[in-house]
Amino acid sequence: MNGAAILTDQSVPADFIKRRALSWASTVDHKRIGVLYLVTTFGFFLIGGVEALVMRLQLAVPQNHLLSPDVYNQLFTMHGTTMIFLVVMPALIGFANYFVPLMIGARDMAFPRLNAMSYWFFIFGGLLLHFSILAGGAPAAGWFSYAPLSETPYSSSAGVDYWIMALLIMGVGSVAGSINMIVTILALRAPGMTLRRVPLFVWMVFINSILIILAIPALNAAIVMLFIDRLLQAHFFMASQGGSPILWQHYFWTFGHPEVYIMVLPAFGMISEVIPVFSRKPIFGYPFVAASTVAIALLSFGVWAHHMFTVGLGHTSDLFFAASSMAIAVPTGIKIFNWIFTMWGGSIRFTTSMLFAIAFLLQFVVGGLSGITFAVAPIDWQMTDTAYVVAHFHYVLFGGTLFGMMAGLYYWFPKLSGRMLSEKIGRAQFWMMVLGFNMTFFVQHFLGFMGMPRRVFTYPDLPGWGLFNMISTVGAFILGFSVLMLGWNILWSLRRGETAGDNPWNAWTLEWATTSPPPEHNFERVPPVRGRRPLWDLTHPDQPDEESPAAKTDFCPEKNRTSMVVFLVSEGFFFLMLIFAFIYYNYTPVPGPTAASTLNAQKTLVFTICLLASSFTVWRSEVAFRNKRHSAMVGWLVVTILLGLVFIIGQATEYLSLFHRGITIQTNLFATTFFTLTGFHGLHVCVGLLALLIVLVLMLLGDFRNFRPRALETISLYWHFVDGVWVVVFSLVYLKLLL
Amino acid sequence: MVIGLCLVALAAYVKATKFRLTGRSVYFIAAVMLIFLTLSSPVNTLAAGYLFSAHMLQHLLLLLVIPPLLLLSLPECNPRHLIGRTMDRFRLHPVAAWLAGLCAMWIWHERTLCEAATTTQAGRVIQIISLLGLGAIFWWPIVGPQKDRRLFPLLGVVYLFSACVGCTILGILITFAPVGVVCPVYLHPVDRLGLLPLIRDQWGITPAKDQQIGGLMMWVPACGIYIFGVIALLARWYRTAEKTSDVVTAETGSPAPALSHRSIGEKA
Repeated sequence: MNGAAILTDQSVPADFIKRRALSWASTVDHKRIGVLYLVTTFGFFLIGGVEALVMRLQLAVPQNHLLSPDVYNQLFTMHGTTMIFLVVMPALIGFANYFVPLMIGARDMAFPRLNAMSYWFFIFGGLLLHFSILAGGAPAAGWFSYAPLSETPYSSSAGVDYWIMALLIMGVGSVAGSINMIVTILALRAPGMTLRRVPLFVWMVFINSILIILAIPALNAAIVMLFIDRLLQAHFFMASQGGSPILWQHYFWTFGHPEVYIMVLPAFGMISEVIPVFSRKPIFGYPFVAASTVAIALLSFGVWAHHMFTVGLGHTSDLFFAASSMAIAVPTGIKIFNWIFTMWGGSIRFTTSMLFAIAFLLQFVVGGLSGITFAVAPIDWQMTDTAYVVAHFHYVLFGGTLFGMMAGLYYWFPKLSGRMLSEKIGRAQFWMMVLGFNMTFFVQHFLGFMGMPRRVFTYPDLPGWGLFNMISTVGAFILGFSVLMLGWNILWSLRRGETAGDNPWNAWTLEWATTSPPPEHNFERVPPVRGRRPLWDLTHPDQPDEESPAAKTDFCPEKNRTSMVVFLVSEGFFFLMLIFAFIYYNYTPVPGPTAASTLNAQKTLVFTICLLASSFTVWRSEVAFRNKRHSAMVGWLVVTILLGLVFIIGQATEYLSLFHRGITIQTNLFATTFFTLTGFHGLHVCVGLLALLIVLVLMLLGDFRNFRPRALETISLYWHFVDGVWVVVFSLVYLKLLL
Repeated sequence: MVIGLCLVALAAYVKATKFRLTGRSVYFIAAVMLIFLTLSSPVNTLAAGYLFSAHMLQHLLLLLVIPPLLLLSLPECNPRHLIGRTMDRFRLHPVAAWLAGLCAMWIWHERTLCEAATTTQAGRVIQIISLLGLGAIFWWPIVGPQKDRRLFPLLGVVYLFSACVGCTILGILITFAPVGVVCPVYLHPVDRLGLLPLIRDQWGITPAKDQQIGGLMMWVPACGIYIFGVIALLARWYRTAEKTSDVVTAETGSPAPALSHRSIGEKA
């Protein structure tokens, strides 16, 4: 069952192919889902690329009239959103999906159906975003949708609404995929593959997934608040009723900065696989690469305000963030040295993959250097919102991540398809891409220095501006042509490429220990894992790698519990953002209704006690499950559900009484934050009740007779979490009224 | 009094180790010197009513720096000693330890408690002891003397990072809160030593700026300490290479594992 057979085997009858084609729509095989991700992202890459080319046409000469300003704004918004959320992130996830289970010697991901769901949410979100073009206009407020521009008075078409909805849907897919990845890596490694022996690609994907489950909730909180502003006329980010547009920026960049590391860590992982193989040396300083990745991930949450140096947070704030931003360059720099020292003294094979990896090193360093110049706040004050920023992030994202993905693609294409990509076309494509990319973006550094702003649909005819923009546009078309060459290479090689064996590159990680492409079950036999390079150890048992830490035990948690814990961490972060908004907007009393004047704390206390009691009863149900007493287990679960229902009905009556008094989400900031916080909590309670009900029905149908399913303990973890959040919310909102 | 205590502590330590100075001694000496700096230097003078940010510096040192240094200076737990046996009997749950650390941080910023700690002597003493004690409990799962009771390094990373998040939120709230919301006593310090002109005019630290600096210190440097802890944990984890025989004994490899089957060390 592999895709390559469809294209190469000419004797297959037509309806067999049709059946096979449809099977792709319902597949849960991680390899096929990986291919689906890659093909879909390539399609979105072409769309985003065309958007970029049209923009470059508009900017080719000064005072151009090819596009109207509004269309230009839509183009750069869609280009940014598409490239970030529909190309880079899903492509990296696609590679991870395909190769992580193979590299750890597993048969599939931990939750194959959840994996498929993530893919379909991604493509649906992408289509929904593009549907906005037909529904009144694409969003035009930038990929970061700053308030108040993104609020209704300034963005009256539904574009921003589609943007929000698409991101919410894709966010769910991303978080689900990341939970899947984390649990897979923790629970499904082959025997002997301890966490200190996993290939660096796997480690980077692991850390990356943790970043995703923490950063996406921050985005979700922000866009949900914006949605409430737009659809329900609240004022989270509108200054007129005490809201704060700056808060949008804080929330967005709390997501946005980790997001840029999300977009680069897996590429680092690919480079860490490619460079050692084509230098015929193990990676230099594995622990440094691994530990510095963790440092980057953690530090990334502490530097976001360097995107806000021009917002007026105060010099003290700027100083601290400048310092932390400089600090975060250190772990990345460590990795660059690791890669260089891996090549040092190695026997280098300049395959196309290696060429892309070397170009990655050079270009990423250029992008990193221009980035670190921004850490110096006064330089940032001068350079912000100029083409210099555009040059910087394209160097790290295109010159970095995309070139890294090219290296990974040329390296892993033989495994994916059974065919080698043509080295001749590959080399030509490589040089074309290097030329096009650098031509497009290097001159933008100078344009930025000369003061050309970004996100402008045209510019005056100042000396040098027209020339550099023209160079950039020509470069962009060369770049576009190189992408077409890539597509050509892939199609040509699928038909006529040289057959790859199991291990064409003589590499050392587990994915090369099976056929190309692998069978559906991945491995006939997983080789023994005694070090970081299993296939090397197999063929050179007398020359083991220096550092091969053996472990007496390994960290291998149970998958259902782990997945729920990871999910709860993610949800916890989401609630943290909402709680923070509540505290921030209610520090000092707001005019209009407040907690003291509108809420009945005693009544809510009663409902709260019911909810907390339901935590006790669900625990009793679990105890009965462990003691194998079926009717007690069912009985306690029924009581749990009833108590939960009491709580939610109580909440509903409270809402109704507030509505009757004319207090709705738009009344004032207290009402907005109150309804948002308690509303999302109530939503989580409802979902929990539904889940408990499903478990109850399964129990009544007899599924629990053998006391094997883990559903009860998993759902009860969720239930305890929901109760825990309510304790915090209650203390914040109601407790003062009782004392 | 503080100087006296520090000297006594140092003398007692030197006598106990019989003048043999090891790596651990460095930790102890560092801890004692930091205690001296925190409680007896100009930092203390400024913290005692002048500068909120100096007060914050004291907090950070007392909660996040001195306790782990002290813990690191403790010798391995000897089960034959009475203390060792007692410690073996009581297990400290990591969540409880984590909550101890976070509560210590958050509670002392509640307005009445903050004022009591700054203005009354009893408040100060309680604050210092609670920060040191709760700090020790917080750092126990990470650098406690019972090596086998320490958290698995990756879980330790989660432990420290979540504490960092808790710390960050508090820091953000303090940085951006209207001035005087947190600890009003610093708005109008009692100028016993005539330092106020120096602070306000020469250094240019207004109450608003002071609160900002305090909040930012809780935010960025505090997280820096946690990150340092994380790096130290990871360094320790990657360094332990035991070169013992492998877990996997099969010479011919294992059959392809089923989806949820694990053969070693599965924690159900």
